[in-house]
Amino acid sequence: MKLLRVENDRFFFQLIPREKDLLEIVLRLYPVIPPTHQVLSKSSTADKANQHLLDEALAEQRSENKKRVEDLLTNPGRFRKSGDAIEMILMASEIEWVLQVLNDVHVGNWVLIGSPEQRPRFSPISKHARFIVAMDLACMFESQLLEAISLSS
Amino acid sequence: MPEVIPDIERDEKSKSESAKEPGYLVVCWNDPVNLMDYVTHVFQTVFAWQRPKAELHMKQVHNLGKSVLVRESLEKAEHYVHQLQKYSLHATMERDE
Repeated sequence: MKLLRVENDRFFFQLIPREKDLLEIVLRLYPVIPPTHQVLSKSSTADKANQHLLDEALAEQRSENKKRVEDLLTNPGRFRKSGDAIEMILMASEIEWVLQVLNDVHVGNWVLIGSPEQRPRFSPISKHARFIVAMDLACMFESQLLEAISLSS
Repeated sequence: MPEVIPDIERDEKSKSESAKEPGYLVVCWNDPVNLMDYVTHVFQTVFAWQRPKAELHMKQVHNLGKSVLVRESLEKAEHYVHQLQKYSLHATMERDE
């Protein structure tokens, strides 16, 4: 996935069809991070009510982002054929939630394999293989989006 | 025996004032999974910081294990923790003691 151009707050990316398929698979995995994973405080600073409010706010956010993913992937205007490649259009305002979604898949799969200190080596026979693949794919798309933001600013 | 009436009004007032005091630290903790560029980007977005300041805090997180990002009231600290957690960063708020 590479940035082609930015026009009027619209980012135009070029993907090969296989990349588009992989991006779709990764985005549809969202959300991955377990709902109770995030805590408001490590000490007793936050009471249960505050923690409950945070859990609710994050659940609402997940639900909203999930709907946004579906809208993006089912909107024919966002992906169009361009020769052998596919052009994807993202609004500047959408980049942030796409990053949130990708990083949720990235971090969430790391949590699912036990939050290891060292990045695990991929082995196709490992019981963690699919989590590691998802983690690495999400990380790759995330890096490409961050590079696009950096190039455009 | 005199009736003791709890000073509810004063308790609520002091609780509300305490919530407005900037006595809460928003802390970001290191983890081995988030990308350094991503963490920098999130700090820039959430706090509207320039890149050098965001990078400085990102490096503190990476090298020291954590960085105190801001010192705020309870409400604002909760708001920032929520914003950072939306991006899946390991952020919490702690009372500044």
